[in-house]
Amino acid sequence: MKISKSIYKLIIPILVIHISTISFAGVNELNDYYKTIRCLVCEGQSIQESDTEFAINLKEQIQKKYSSGISIEEIDQELIKIYGEEISFNPPKNHILLWGMPLIVLIIIFIFIRNKIRFFRRV
Amino acid sequence: MKRHLLLPIVGLIVLIVSVIFYFNQSTYKNNSRDEVSSLIFETPDFYNNKLINENTLGEFYIINFFASWCKPCLAEHPLLMEMKKKGVKIIGINFRDDEENFKEWINEHGNPFEYILRDDGSIAYEMGLIGVPETFFILNKMTQKKIQGPLFYEDIEKYL
Repeated sequence: MKISKSIYKLIIPILVIHISTISFAGVNELNDYYKTIRCLVCEGQSIQESDTEFAINLKEQIQKKYSSGISIEEIDQELIKIYGEEISFNPPKNHILLWGMPLIVLIIIFIFIRNKIRFFRRV
Repeated sequence: MKRHLLLPIVGLIVLIVSVIFYFNQSTYKNNSRDEVSSLIFETPDFYNNKLINENTLGEFYIINFFASWCKPCLAEHPLLMEMKKKGVKIIGINFRDDEENFKEWINEHGNPFEYILRDDGSIAYEMGLIGVPETFFILNKMTQKKIQGPLFYEDIEKYL
């Protein structure tokens, strides 16, 4: 009897801590996700920082979907589908070409200038 | 020889990269946001508690998001009333509003809407709403035009 009571005493706090950490993890994950979503009516701010009706509604809708078991990745895809890429602060990976373009142009210019210098040296 | 080829090669690279960008962008342009949210046809009308009958709407209709707390909504209200007079069907979606304030607002300013739906934000989310007022011009169940902010006479004159 005494043993079972002490087991309960041990298990209940462990369960409480476990459940609270799970829900806190969910809240943290959502908060981190909100930071990656651009508030479209307040340039430069994420919905996590903003208190506009747009940001409040978006946070509520995301939270609803998250609570119903939809993953952050699925929510993110849906948001991009509805609002377009501009909603996300994280550019999609297919834009690697866009980010790489200035580098490519720089290399081409460098090669071009080097060839020109060589040409003038010969002259 | 090589020097002569440099410019055409650079031109070709730029062309190829531009073509890749163009096709990349077009795959990201999606049509889903042009479709009318199915939630609109699943939410009952506030006054008669019936679902919207799509057949009574016809090919062309307007979806207008409004709220009693939104000042620009009041500015476009006379235009909506005028459109109603000319027979244009408008679905009004009351966005995140207090019920009493909303009823008072409609009683005070008049009801230009064929149907009024109360939205907790779900319809707005699915329609990609940014703020109120926002108006969607729907033709054959697809959004033809979307106006963010209050309507002006120039926006609606061809529908009158």
